Amino acid sequence: MQILIVEDEASLMDSMVSYLELEGFRCERASDYHTAVCVLDKHDYICMLIDLNLPGGDGLELVKLARENQSESGIIIISARDTIEQRVEGLDAGADDYLVKPFHLSELVARVHSVARRTRMKGGEVLSFGVISVHPDEHSCFVGKKQVDLTRKELDMLMFLMANRNRVVTKESIADYLWGEYGGGYGSYDFVYTHLKNLRRKLQDAGCPDYVENIYGIGYKFSLDKSP
Amino acid sequence: MKLLTKSTLLIATLSLFLFFIMGIIFFQVLKNMSKANLDRELFDLKELVEDHIENYQANHIIALPGIDSLSIQSIQLNRQAGEFLGDTLMYDSKEKQFKTYRYIQFISVKGDAAYQVRIYKSTNPTDYLVERVTLMMTLMVILFLAGIFILNRFIFANLWGDFFKAIDKLKEFETNKEPVILGEQDIQEFEELRLALEMMTSRLASDYKELKEYTDHTTHELQTPLAVIKSKTELLIQSDRLGAEEMKCLEAINTSVNQLSRLNSTLALLTRIENKQFTEKEKIDLAGLLERHLELLEEPIGLRKIRVEKQFHQEAVVLLMDQGLADLLIANLLKNAIVHNKEGGRILLETEPDRLSIKNDGPPLSFKQEDLFTRFVRDTKRSGNFGLGLSLVKKVCETYNFLIEYSFENERHTFTVIFKA
Repeated sequence: MQILIVEDEASLMDSMVSYLELEGFRCERASDYHTAVCVLDKHDYICMLIDLNLPGGDGLELVKLARENQSESGIIIISARDTIEQRVEGLDAGADDYLVKPFHLSELVARVHSVARRTRMKGGEVLSFGVISVHPDEHSCFVGKKQVDLTRKELDMLMFLMANRNRVVTKESIADYLWGEYGGGYGSYDFVYTHLKNLRRKLQDAGCPDYVENIYGIGYKFSLDKSP
Repeated sequence: MKLLTKSTLLIATLSLFLFFIMGIIFFQVLKNMSKANLDRELFDLKELVEDHIENYQANHIIALPGIDSLSIQSIQLNRQAGEFLGDTLMYDSKEKQFKTYRYIQFISVKGDAAYQVRIYKSTNPTDYLVERVTLMMTLMVILFLAGIFILNRFIFANLWGDFFKAIDKLKEFETNKEPVILGEQDIQEFEELRLALEMMTSRLASDYKELKEYTDHTTHELQTPLAVIKSKTELLIQSDRLGAEEMKCLEAINTSVNQLSRLNSTLALLTRIENKQFTEKEKIDLAGLLERHLELLEEPIGLRKIRVEKQFHQEAVVLLMDQGLADLLIANLLKNAIVHNKEGGRILLETEPDRLSIKNDGPPLSFKQEDLFTRFVRDTKRSGNFGLGLSLVKKVCETYNFLIEYSFENERHTFTVIFKA
């Protein structure tokens, strides 16, 4: 479960490493182009996070190089460049996903999970959490043996919460993950709340314990040992 | 009104007025002169007639040359003597109409006999002359006016040509923000205008460029620290050692930093549109675009129980613009119609070949209508908004020369985008 992080901003690097290590990933750091090239073959990375603005070279070249060397790895570009053209360019270079700075760490983790799933498992994988199991490729969800009918958004939300299990995820990060640019700007996250309420109700109706915990209005925590 | 029209009109009214007055005076003078002339003739004739009466029998006087008509009556001498001039009408049996005559009446005495004599002279020939001269004058005036018109046009084009060129250049300034450079002028006032304009526009252009670069750099440089704050906050809230108070602080930080990063990315977007970084042109079906965005906005629409009504033109309305900017335009207009709607309100979408109008219910604006598209002007009661959405809309419209109009009627806001070719 090794991840390579190429990022020149030390502070941001620290945050990502801390958060990902909490998730059980091990991280290899590279703060410039040449270090990155050197450590590219060091491990069999499950995912590589690459910044585009790097000292000593262009991140896009690194993406191409990484794609040649480790075809099995997932690659996520993390960059402040956010135009459509730049995203297309990044994906064309061989990246699996493109995350625009500044991003939520919870969103990063969710994307790492999903990229890792796509590249390593080649589908057919089952995600499970407590009594819940999710088949991402069939867009289906089960509580025990009982299928739960979830909307696309509810399923995405569930997978996001599962990827960030035992973490506090903020309302904003859920909104940004599910609705992208449409999440923000309404001055309220009521629809996050509405969807979450529906999701909890459906899961509980199917006999699932409530794993969701409200954390002081800042967000939610999805955990097995929810404090009552 | 155009300068040329205005000046022509001014010249025309002034000269017509002047010529009218002058015409009246001229006519009067001419008339008086011809009258005086006639009177002088009548006096000459009087002397001639008196001569005749003295030398011949009064009854025998035959009309002398130059006299149109003559009447002689013998009267008592004691009657008051005197002479006077007058006008009268006499019937002309030949032409079967009344004609005006000027006459002189006087008493002529021969021995103990006295005669009252009247000499008539027709005014016809002089009237005719006056008429002709006046007609000629009028004709000359008309010709003169026509000449002035043409001359004015010619002089106008010559004198003001550079001025109009300057105006065209200034209009271009609005779009390209390049300093206006005009050639040197030979008219002193225009030269002054040119210097002032060149100074002003080059100043404006450099200010504009600086501002653009400033926003560009600021938004770019802000991204990394924002990313750091955002990620550190997220890490911090994972800690088990924090109490409710600390979490509240963190929530405030989290909300603010998210707002700030959204503000930052919107400003960056505005700058990019201004920098003309969206140049791709694609054919975009307006109805399809609207439908797609409505689908994306399903949640907020449903949450506020808003009804959406669509009146799409039967033929597809196709726009030629950048896909990203088209999305931006529609997303922000729709978002505006949702956010400023009332609970259970309506949104009406209408498309025409040349326009799109989006109508929504809602309370009137809490600020001046002119400020609607200005950055950071917003409903102060609503937090979490920056008032940038409509300035984005305006920027996109400016990029494609679309016209955007706003009106408020019957508790309903209407935004209309007019697509000009």
